Amino acid sequence: MIEMRAFSFRYAGADRDALSNLNMTVDDGDFIGVIGPSGAGKTTLTQALSGLVPHRRSGDFFGSVTVNGLDTVNSSLTELALHVGSVFQDIDSQMIAGQVEDEILFGLENFGVDRAEIPRRVDKALADIGISPLRHRTIDSLSGGQKQKVAIAAILALRPKILVLDEPTGELDPGASEQIFRLLRRMNETHGMTVIVVEQKIMLLSAYAKKLAVLNDGVLELFGPVREVLRHSARLEEIGVHCPRVATLSNRLADLTGGALAVDLDEAEALVRGLLP
Amino acid sequence: MIQFENVTLTYGGAAAVRDLNFTVAPGEFVAVIGANGAGKTTVSKLMNGLLKPTSGRVLLDGVPTTALRTSVLARKIGFLFQNPDRQLCKPTIREEIAFGLALTGRKDAAARTEAVLREFGFDGSRDPFSASRGERQRIALASLIAVEPEVLILDEPTTGLDYRECMAMMARVQSLNAAGTTVVMVCHDMELVLDFARRTLVLKDGTLLLDGETRSVFRNTDVLRRASVLPPQITRLSLRLGDRLQPADTVEEMEAAIRAARQKGVPA
Repeated sequence: MIEMRAFSFRYAGADRDALSNLNMTVDDGDFIGVIGPSGAGKTTLTQALSGLVPHRRSGDFFGSVTVNGLDTVNSSLTELALHVGSVFQDIDSQMIAGQVEDEILFGLENFGVDRAEIPRRVDKALADIGISPLRHRTIDSLSGGQKQKVAIAAILALRPKILVLDEPTGELDPGASEQIFRLLRRMNETHGMTVIVVEQKIMLLSAYAKKLAVLNDGVLELFGPVREVLRHSARLEEIGVHCPRVATLSNRLADLTGGALAVDLDEAEALVRGLLP
Repeated sequence: MIQFENVTLTYGGAAAVRDLNFTVAPGEFVAVIGANGAGKTTVSKLMNGLLKPTSGRVLLDGVPTTALRTSVLARKIGFLFQNPDRQLCKPTIREEIAFGLALTGRKDAAARTEAVLREFGFDGSRDPFSASRGERQRIALASLIAVEPEVLILDEPTTGLDYRECMAMMARVQSLNAAGTTVVMVCHDMELVLDFARRTLVLKDGTLLLDGETRSVFRNTDVLRRASVLPPQITRLSLRLGDRLQPADTVEEMEAAIRAARQKGVPA
């Protein structure tokens, strides 16, 4: 469980808060999509969960962030890393090894996982992500989607209870993006892993996340189940968050439907058929 | 005018694109779509002369790209990379914009630089790399626009941008197009293609599967399936509803069609 209480952070030298008075509880097993315009504080939020804020970013920290009972200010990054696995926006900066297998071994050895246990963990992480055939490939030879999967596998091998990803599909095409989200869903559903993912593609979040957190100018504007948040399509557009077009359509037809919301094609088709004579 | 005549390009024995034939007329707004590896980026690089055909010819205003000097190509064609950091190379925004102009040897480079800085509202003394991703993309675009190219090629122009930055970028591109600049856009976002491109080319495995008016392309479900491309959401909804409703591709059109159908009380 993650709890943020009156949490604010202001980077050293900045004239306003990157995040301002956040109150947010994330339950175990939740799948949260974080969306908002650039500069809204999305990356700061992910770094507050991994502890990089405040341990590696200087600034003023107010309120509290606790992860599975650990106060992030009073816990070391290593301690936090056992609970929260982070996949950064720029995965190239995260990759350390030259080869896929080494990349996964690196984290395991660094975190002092029992030597006898390591080979099993590597096998399992590669298999879970479906990249066993890439095991002996060099990182340089991989596509963007494959690299992203390796970065996720390396984190999963550490078995964190919470997985935090910052725009994992930013550079990926629609097919590869969908694969990453299917993978996140599987980790969430079958391993009960809590997933928090920053993502600009609202259609992916609508299809895969359970809840949406909308950040704007450092403020948590909306936070709730996907359907509830998507009802506010006019407000979302104002903030600069694009709704799936079927959701916007259903909101515009609210006078005819009594406010029924369609978040995907199947729902939209049923809704429109019901309106036609 | 860009002409592809039987253009084939092979890398190490494998064809990246095969026997491409099409013409882009001045002032068009054309999207190039297809799955990864379909040859979209190869096509865009053939257009600006970064790649030369193995066989066939790419002609710019009637002259093969192989016969054009780089400075001439740079003046005619602006190429916006997916990642602006591949393009930006100077310590200030002013120098960045002046750099592209200097390459084309324009006499009015200094005045033009200041005009573009004003137009985009940039502080010319800033370091481009201290700007956000969206701003860096705008700086890269500004340095291309400064040269006033006849053709603007955009490779996934909105990658990494939020919705508002994306719309601001596209509004700028659209106004250039309205003023006569030819735009060719390689793009994965089909809603962007629908909203901005009047014509769309569909590639698969390096061959041209379909070339047509964007909206009719999106209704050719067989070809799109073969190309592993999903049409925009409202078009898909419209296709599912079939004869029950007037064809609609945008939210506004679909809302109007639904309301019209209800008023008439009979299927449209």
